Amino acid sequence: MSKSPDDKLIEELEGLRERFNRTTDRIVKDIGRQKKIMERSDKRQRQEYDELQRRFDEIERLNKEIEETQREVVFTMGAIGESRSKETGNHVRRVAEYSKLFALYYGLAEEEAELLKQASPMHDIGKVAIPDSILNKPGRLDEHEREVMNTHAQLGYEMLAYSTRPLLKLAATVAYEHHEKWDGSGYPRGLKGKDIHIGGRITALADVFDALGSERCYKNAWDDARIFELFREEKGKHFDPDLIDIFFQHIDEFLEIRDRLKDDL
Amino acid sequence: METLRLEATQYTPEIVLDPAGVIAFSGKSYPENTFDFYQPVMDWLEQYFSSELPERTVVNMEIIYFNSSSSKLFFDMFDLMEEASAEHALEVNWIYDPENESAREAGEDFIEDFDSLTLNLVEKG
Repeated sequence: MSKSPDDKLIEELEGLRERFNRTTDRIVKDIGRQKKIMERSDKRQRQEYDELQRRFDEIERLNKEIEETQREVVFTMGAIGESRSKETGNHVRRVAEYSKLFALYYGLAEEEAELLKQASPMHDIGKVAIPDSILNKPGRLDEHEREVMNTHAQLGYEMLAYSTRPLLKLAATVAYEHHEKWDGSGYPRGLKGKDIHIGGRITALADVFDALGSERCYKNAWDDARIFELFREEKGKHFDPDLIDIFFQHIDEFLEIRDRLKDDL
Repeated sequence: METLRLEATQYTPEIVLDPAGVIAFSGKSYPENTFDFYQPVMDWLEQYFSSELPERTVVNMEIIYFNSSSSKLFFDMFDLMEEASAEHALEVNWIYDPENESAREAGEDFIEDFDSLTLNLVEKG
């Protein structure tokens, strides 16, 4: 029995209605889901971002902690070296600041200058191995005593040279070379001119500038005129001539540091 | 049917689709173009569920993080699975790290959405 055209039409329409309903259900379901998906996704993102933020903060905190610890260790090590020769804690701070200023005007990048600022206070760490009788002797050292005293550069280098950290490597170099002189008459290796690492050349000048202006067990503080005269005399002999030029060009800034970090009396 | 295996990338999970009845997603899911990325996976699943099935199918989902497009894809996948599970033994294990709260919550939400799909929350030991 064949279907009438009406039956066929009805069948077709019912089929269409069924597909239409299925599609409508599907769309309604999807719309409902879309909202859920977005809300949940937003929530997940918020949680993830909060978590990341927490971790970033933690990392930043730890970084600061590391940097501060490093700074303190560095100054403490410097102070240990200096305390053996009755220097003050401010001496190492001043040498640090002078060194950075020299480094920047010499043309080193900010990070290198900062590294030198932190490394230079350790230049005398080798003095921990020098006997008190020599280190604190009032008056001049005899030849043998001078020889022992001079080993502190090599000793400081040996103490720091084990490290692969940039800071301690630089500190090792500075300890090794801060008694070298531009004309080659320094110790321990008698290096000359730019064969002496810039950190060594800078620290040498910064250290001498500060030491001359301070009282020591074997001498009184020098007045500025006398220090400047010595610098002019030693330009190109003891000291890198470029650094002496920088010193005189920016003398106000060096004196400002000296003033700001002067020793408590 | 052949096994479809996709290595994990920075943005996409490792995917193993084995016609022996083991389906596994593991890692993060925030591809650049999510729908393109999952197209072969959806094709495979559709073909799998319309061919002769093994005795049972186990789906292991260990997704650490996913974007909203991936979420939509998971809904579509679970639709397919829910439909198939009417006449087939199929279960989904939503595996999460106890430290990953949002992964656990996502699993809980899916359970709520799919009444007749067996979806187990599995905490990683």
